Amino acid sequence: MYQYTDFDRRFVRARAVQFRDQLRRHLDGELPDDDFRPLRLQNGWYVQRHAPMLRVAVPYGELSSRQLHQLARIAREFDRDYGHFTTRQNLQFNWIPLPRAADVMDLLAEVDMHGIQTSGNCIRNITTDALAGIAPDEVVDPRPYAEILRQWSTLHPEFAFLPRKFKIAIFGATEDRAATAWHDIGLQLLKNAAGEVGFKVLVGGGMGRTPIVGSIVGDFVPWQQILVYIEAIVRVYNRLGRRDNLYKARIKILVKAEGQAFADAVNAEFRHILQHDQEGAAHLIPRSELDRVAGSFQLPPGLDAQRAPSAATAPHTLPVAYRRWLERNVHAHRLPAYRAVTLSLKRAGHAPGDATGDQMDRAAELATRFSHGELRVTHDQNLLLPWVRDDELQALWLAAREAGFATPNIGLLTDMIACPGGDFCALANARSIPVAAAISERFEDLDRLYDIGDIDLHLSGCINSCGHHHSGHIGILGVDKDGAEWYQITLAGSDGSRLSGDATPGKVIGPSFAAEEVPDVIEAVIETYRRERRPGERFIDTSRRLGPLPFRAAADAVRRTTAPAVA
Amino acid sequence: MKFVDPRHDRWHRVEGEDGPLAQPDPQAHRLLTLEQWHAVRETWPHGLPTGLILPNTLDVDTLAEDLRGPRARLSLVVLQFPKWTDGRAYSQARVLRARHRFDGELRAVGEVLVDMLPLLQRTGFDAVQLRHDQNLDAAVRALGFFAGHYQGDVTQPRPAFARDLSAELAAARDGAELFAGQGI
Repeated sequence: MYQYTDFDRRFVRARAVQFRDQLRRHLDGELPDDDFRPLRLQNGWYVQRHAPMLRVAVPYGELSSRQLHQLARIAREFDRDYGHFTTRQNLQFNWIPLPRAADVMDLLAEVDMHGIQTSGNCIRNITTDALAGIAPDEVVDPRPYAEILRQWSTLHPEFAFLPRKFKIAIFGATEDRAATAWHDIGLQLLKNAAGEVGFKVLVGGGMGRTPIVGSIVGDFVPWQQILVYIEAIVRVYNRLGRRDNLYKARIKILVKAEGQAFADAVNAEFRHILQHDQEGAAHLIPRSELDRVAGSFQLPPGLDAQRAPSAATAPHTLPVAYRRWLERNVHAHRLPAYRAVTLSLKRAGHAPGDATGDQMDRAAELATRFSHGELRVTHDQNLLLPWVRDDELQALWLAAREAGFATPNIGLLTDMIACPGGDFCALANARSIPVAAAISERFEDLDRLYDIGDIDLHLSGCINSCGHHHSGHIGILGVDKDGAEWYQITLAGSDGSRLSGDATPGKVIGPSFAAEEVPDVIEAVIETYRRERRPGERFIDTSRRLGPLPFRAAADAVRRTTAPAVA
Repeated sequence: MKFVDPRHDRWHRVEGEDGPLAQPDPQAHRLLTLEQWHAVRETWPHGLPTGLILPNTLDVDTLAEDLRGPRARLSLVVLQFPKWTDGRAYSQARVLRARHRFDGELRAVGEVLVDMLPLLQRTGFDAVQLRHDQNLDAAVRALGFFAGHYQGDVTQPRPAFARDLSAELAAARDGAELFAGQGI
């Protein structure tokens, strides 16, 4: 993990002090709501349906046990004893009263954490592959670059008030596990024929009401130049992005409207910075800085990289529940004697991605005992232990099961992505959590889940798409019609992973469904797949081969309160 | 940072009853719109202290000739924040300073709030006309919270990784403790 320097600590401490000053002026009536709002947003404080929500930054998803214990303490002492892990690898609290906000920021700063730029129209937390630095298919470890980008984007004075929020994701493996094509900037680390490292740069991806996949603006930007290149992109966006219409303000709209002219403007700005600006070349990353930051991302102290793999136990002698967990929750590692293990936050009785204070403490203890004190927050709202010895898997399984983290469902239908929805979010049109719960209940039988196999089910409570419904193999979108909650179903979307294929939005199957119809519809769609699939086909393959029509017919057949559209 | 009091400002717009006059006559310390400047630029005397107020949609590269070098003609550039959350003028300011080496006064007007000051200073503004309800003490304090930043800017063009941070922190130590105390 990245190790904070004195400078980093002083910086986060100064931010907490600055926020306390702003909060005090607000509470004293000196800083009115409209003037305080952007300031609190850029510290992670977003006023929700019930109370302010605090979104804590977890840079590129890396957490230490110590940090997670502190988050547990905040959940217990300041919130109603739980938090929600998000698709952007952050953690949200829901119930902290605003007058206590500055005290929470002080507690976060104690463990090198903050809420800087987790909301507002600025460059947000940079996300990456949860298997960064440990994946067998990795070409270049993205974490040092993610950290350098984090530092560069933190309180960047020119880009604090962009037309709209701005999200960057980065990966460095052969498989994209960070949905980078769906981001304002998606970065892929590559090596060219000479072995040099550079970035493929996509710009203008995004979900919301206009789902668009990013376009390539740079084929191979040498790593030294990436800060300057991104500065050029964001400056062009700051100057030319639309500010007259909230729904057309994301960079994707600019990229789509301008096409090649956008790429030309970026490349011209990039040359201007390097050729004409005072100290324009000062942001070329020197090898010494990359090495300094990369030094934080070496193997954890005490880990034996040379350790030989343990002899495998014959699978049939293992308990079936353990075998299932090994199959679904345990992932290959670049070190042959180690594994990455997902702690499932998708289990009966809990909203997807939620954890209580006690569960956070338990997860932190598991990380301390089995993973050198390190965890990752995954893009699909689980926790992951990156450094587990292969001979400790069974002990971890027993401990994880005891703590309620061992549901063997990773990548299966109940491992769904879902936003907090209308139960919490002021923007949402519809609730997500009860729908997620109804689907989980319907598909709780593990044999059936395994038979259905790999599938991405994504659920958003509104068109802002925090639950990534566009990229789900099955997407569920909450919509509001005449004050009632309805759900639109899409099929065959993709986040860009190997299983899902090139990133693309799903296609709608007919008019929206009533909430009580949704589990039946999902079941009808799934049963259509099971009936029609060819040997070896996953859901995404069959849904793509057949197109939406047979699924639509099956879904229409289970409507009770809604009517299908007349074809 | 200079705090401009509009009641005691030597710079004046050239306006009639119907808005800016089309053909202002040359005098020192006139603050012209872009349209006025285009109308008089060819005949405007060199060496006269002249200011321009620019819309935040302008590509400032188009003014390059008037900004720098021996032929520089502008002493003041005023950039506008129609809403404080509209950040276009930050980019204009940075490009004016870093690319065009503009070394006259760079002033922020419009909805300028005290909490914008660190951003304004770092992107090259050296003068602000605060919104009328703003508190000058809070403005001065707003500039003092951080000992240093990660990325380079107009006042410190080099990023943290190209600076001697330990020396910087040692020099700032007392200030940091002071502002920690100020906030509470």
